[in-house]
Amino acid sequence: MRKLGLLFMAMILVATLSACSSNSSGSSSGSSKEIVFWNPFTGPDGKNMKKMVDEYNKTDPEYKIKNISLKEGDMYTKIQTVVNSGENIPDLMIVHAERIKQYVDNEMLTSYDDYLSDYPEIKEENYMPEAWKIGDLDGSRYSVPLDIHSFVMYYNKDLVEKYAPGALDDNIITFDEIEAAGEKSQQDKITSLGVTWVKPNFLSLYAQNGGKLTENGIDPTIDNDQAKASFQKWIDLYESGVTNKDGEDPAQLFLQEKLIFYPEGIWMNNNLKDAKFEYGLTNAPQLTDDKSKMVNWSSSHQFVMFNSKDRSDEKSKGVVAFIDWIRDNSLEWAKAGQNPASLKILDDPEYQKMAQSFLLKDPEVQASLKIFDYKYNGYVSEELDAKGLDIIFGKIPVDKGLADIQKTLEDKIAKDASNK
Amino acid sequence: MEVPVKSMEPQPKPKPKIKPDNRKSVNWTPWVFITPHLLIFSVFFLVPIIYGIYISFTSWDLIGKADFVGLANYKEILFQKDSSFYTQFHNGFKNTFIFVILSVPGCIIVPLLLASALNAKPRFHKFFQSIFYMPTLFSISAVVIIWTLMFNVNQGPINNFLGESILWTSTQPYAWAAIVILTVWWCIGGNMIIYQAALNGVPRDLYEAASIDGANAVQKFFKITLPSIRGPILYTVVITTIAQFNVYGQPLMLTGGGPADSTRVLLMDIQQNAFGSGQPIAGIASAMAIILGLCIMVVTFIQFLLLRNKE
Repeated sequence: MRKLGLLFMAMILVATLSACSSNSSGSSSGSSKEIVFWNPFTGPDGKNMKKMVDEYNKTDPEYKIKNISLKEGDMYTKIQTVVNSGENIPDLMIVHAERIKQYVDNEMLTSYDDYLSDYPEIKEENYMPEAWKIGDLDGSRYSVPLDIHSFVMYYNKDLVEKYAPGALDDNIITFDEIEAAGEKSQQDKITSLGVTWVKPNFLSLYAQNGGKLTENGIDPTIDNDQAKASFQKWIDLYESGVTNKDGEDPAQLFLQEKLIFYPEGIWMNNNLKDAKFEYGLTNAPQLTDDKSKMVNWSSSHQFVMFNSKDRSDEKSKGVVAFIDWIRDNSLEWAKAGQNPASLKILDDPEYQKMAQSFLLKDPEVQASLKIFDYKYNGYVSEELDAKGLDIIFGKIPVDKGLADIQKTLEDKIAKDASNK
Repeated sequence: MEVPVKSMEPQPKPKPKIKPDNRKSVNWTPWVFITPHLLIFSVFFLVPIIYGIYISFTSWDLIGKADFVGLANYKEILFQKDSSFYTQFHNGFKNTFIFVILSVPGCIIVPLLLASALNAKPRFHKFFQSIFYMPTLFSISAVVIIWTLMFNVNQGPINNFLGESILWTSTQPYAWAAIVILTVWWCIGGNMIIYQAALNGVPRDLYEAASIDGANAVQKFFKITLPSIRGPILYTVVITTIAQFNVYGQPLMLTGGGPADSTRVLLMDIQQNAFGSGQPIAGIASAMAIILGLCIMVVTFIQFLLLRNKE
């Protein structure tokens, strides 16, 4: 009996050990004819991406794509670990534009330079310039854009008709127009402007005010008059009752037809489709109606290859083949509410009818899409997310808030050895 | 006088030829039983801890090479007043402490009272037991979504009931109140089950004897119930304190650390420094985590001493 027990325990032991040693993550790039593709599309857009991958695999390419969607935070943590260990590095990955500079500075990315010659259509002229230029670093191409997604503004058509007639004739809503509408609508308990995600709202306005996140690419510049003026604008709107109150959910207000202007990302369009009223999509709020001075905060999903000893040259060419196919077939991605970076989409009549297409159709509006590709954008995001609402709602004085943000950014950046 | 004869008998038994040397044979049986656990413990617990301690002595972005900097990280977060990491650590630590002090009593007393009530076996006590236990089964995200709706300024049932328009999640002291209420509600089940099991083991005749002596319910509770289940209470106090020191999800999702960082707890800073959206600052994050860990150990030790000495 005792021997039997020992045997049993020994078996468990062996099982435990073998479980530890076996490769359980399923993301090995070892298997020869498969491209492991990591992306952060776990929401509704994940279905669109999966559909595109399936379509591509149906074309019977030499290297098929294995689609792995991971939660954004997990994906960015995990990639660091696998790159460190050198094992299970994905062959292809989608990252946000703002992160690329940092990855390149840390020598983590493989350049596409050696593989692009067979795909002449992957070139500057065929892509949205703001998204394309992100991947051009130190004279090499490190990323190819999938899309450019912007933070714009939704509006309730009936309410605009009632409180801001004519304001949309030029498709630009100024802060003054929002304020004027708010003064009228307050009497009917209708809110004019929603205080939504502070980071893009603030950065759009900051850029309109001439502010920059950095002058030399490293040191942050956020404790300045432009930043103060930008926050002050939102504070004034809040204090005069033009915006929603602290604690109110602007998304709820908009759906209940109690909010006229609702700044949000174009990717939210699918969430609003059930609205029981007519709404439209326009540029983010602007200081003036001068089109050439317009700014719409944007970011971009970009295809990158992290350095991996397991990825052969042949496979890298397979990766580029997929990227080239996406360039040619990005309508499905537009259906997710996004604006594909491949300008070929502009020829598609179906895309032309989509709400978000106004950002790409007009070259002048296209030029207003701005990606804040500061190397330390991640730190800036964290600080603005942590303090932004408190500054607007008057819980942190704007001077102190900006000084604290500046100080934290400086201290965090000082820890980065890749500058030295 | 048979005893000596018997004791003589075993003498021929030793046969040195079978075991050529005098080495004690090792009994492998306990090792076989303990090894799986030991292995998992080392791989997932011991090694990471030692590694974490090592990282706390370095400056590292999790990508390049880790530079050994000695105690510099600890010095910076503990003493260097002009550093943002000093501010982060002190604010985060203070808030974590506030949370522990506010929430642990609730997480002990409320389940204890509920367990005592259920122990009286009222009607439908099984049903209520399930109801009380249920929140523990929910994930923190689900719990926070429920309570975000409950605390909503305009549509929330709590403000409607009170007839007020309190900004529960973005003004103090309501933000702490909201977090503590949510936490107590969430962790009732675990402790309650332990108390129920303990209360079942308290002999009924003690209560009967007390009744005959004229003790009332309150006296019985303090003189019989509490002393009888001191062990489980000690256990839950320690476990709950450790759990609450590791608070993260509640403030992260309910208040976002606000208003003005007043509910920003240490784990939020640790997480953001190590795995935030910017370049990782792993050395500082590790040093913060190690100090938090040490602190939990010290507090646990003190609790043990205090509760044991009462005997």
